[in-house]
Amino acid sequence: MSVKYIPVQWNRNKWIYDAVMLIGVILFLYLFLFVSPEILSHENPINPQIHNARAFGACAFIMLTVILCIGPLARIDRRFLPLLYNRRHFGVMTLFVAITHASYILNWYFAFSSSNKFEALLFANTSYGQLAGFPFEVFGVFALFCLALLAVTSHDFWMKFLTPPVWKRLHSLVYFAYVSVVAHVSFGILLDQQNHVFTVIFVGGALSVAGLHAYAAWLEYKAGDDIGSNQGGWVDICDASEFRDGFAKIKILPSGERVAVFNQGGNLSAISNACAHQNGPLGEGRVIDCLVTCPWHGFQYDVTNGRSPAPFTEKIPTYNLRLDGTRVLVDPVANSPGTYVEPVPLPDVVTKEVLV
Amino acid sequence: MNEAELILFAAKIWCGIGALVAVVFLTFGIDRIDEDADGAYVFRPLLVPGVLLIWPMVLWRWYILADGKDEWSHRYRPKRHNHVWFALLMPVAIVIIIGAAFSVRQTWPGDIAPEPLSAPAEVSE
Repeated sequence: MSVKYIPVQWNRNKWIYDAVMLIGVILFLYLFLFVSPEILSHENPINPQIHNARAFGACAFIMLTVILCIGPLARIDRRFLPLLYNRRHFGVMTLFVAITHASYILNWYFAFSSSNKFEALLFANTSYGQLAGFPFEVFGVFALFCLALLAVTSHDFWMKFLTPPVWKRLHSLVYFAYVSVVAHVSFGILLDQQNHVFTVIFVGGALSVAGLHAYAAWLEYKAGDDIGSNQGGWVDICDASEFRDGFAKIKILPSGERVAVFNQGGNLSAISNACAHQNGPLGEGRVIDCLVTCPWHGFQYDVTNGRSPAPFTEKIPTYNLRLDGTRVLVDPVANSPGTYVEPVPLPDVVTKEVLV
Repeated sequence: MNEAELILFAAKIWCGIGALVAVVFLTFGIDRIDEDADGAYVFRPLLVPGVLLIWPMVLWRWYILADGKDEWSHRYRPKRHNHVWFALLMPVAIVIIIGAAFSVRQTWPGDIAPEPLSAPAEVSE
């Protein structure tokens, strides 16, 4: 959270995250290049360019696999949320590793032609009509383009400028990039792999990503947020006795937006469930001293007015609430971001049980 | 001009236009549509590669924001259900791709004599 943009918003946690990531990359490359070449089909002599290209290519695949696992893992178990915190740096570093892989390939396999090496890459193999011998390079080029697009639009400015939903849609390209990388490896090195240690790592990694995403989607389908029922133009959230102090109930409104109704010391306040930063699920956060913290990246908002504490300037919409007996109802028409709404006290009959 | 040259030429034109947009947007436009960028200059070079790649989107958003046509409620409607489609289609695609690759492997599951996939390529000029 910053008032003015700066190139990179470093903090202690990000330094630690990036340091662990960098050490992991160096360790992987060291193992691949120097410690165990024989288990990775390098018993046949290959030159350093090819060896390096394979090392960086394998590293980029592993990194992208880990990145794609973080999202569903955080959905399945909240203890993985810290991994989500700095995932954009992970993505940018993956791009650098992938570019290094591509550079070794270009400067070896395509560098000794009389043609421009980039042109040579595009026309060296054009057997698009056959599966065996398919020009797998094109999958790599596409994946690299996607990773580059994601990395160059990863600054917070882009999220605010494009709006979080559009930014998220653009960054959904990571799924296409991953499938493309799987195709790049499958129709490339896998067709010639003689020692199957890497084959097992590759297939295991790809199926882990596939399985985790499918499982997370199934969980969301089974235990996802409910659609609030309409009660004369207001949306029924739940009975007042169902609230826990400091936590929220989330409902989907007729417009498709999610509202998060918080109980803060016996007073109810309703805000948008979507964080202004990346549309993270605010309703899964906890209110402490009137502020709810987004579980994704730690942005904070006052639940009574939807504003981040000064000097920060983020704002989210708020909603009007009313009680009908012990039922809590919300007006589905959102107030403009940052609008103060007087909290609604819980009915006396339920206050005692909720605050116990 | 062959197809490869054409693709690279188109990429150069695209990035060339993007560079012009980047110069104008990052020098004059950005301050007017985002108060957090006003007076902040060090981060702007980081945006140049992004503008090069998605300059039509930059022009469109610039126009929307500068003209006051931005609808604030759209910012708070994440398309969470989109993940279901990716979660369903990605595993299917991965399994099909890996299965197809294994099916055309010439030395899997047992070693067999490799067959040429196509005639030798013509010599490039």
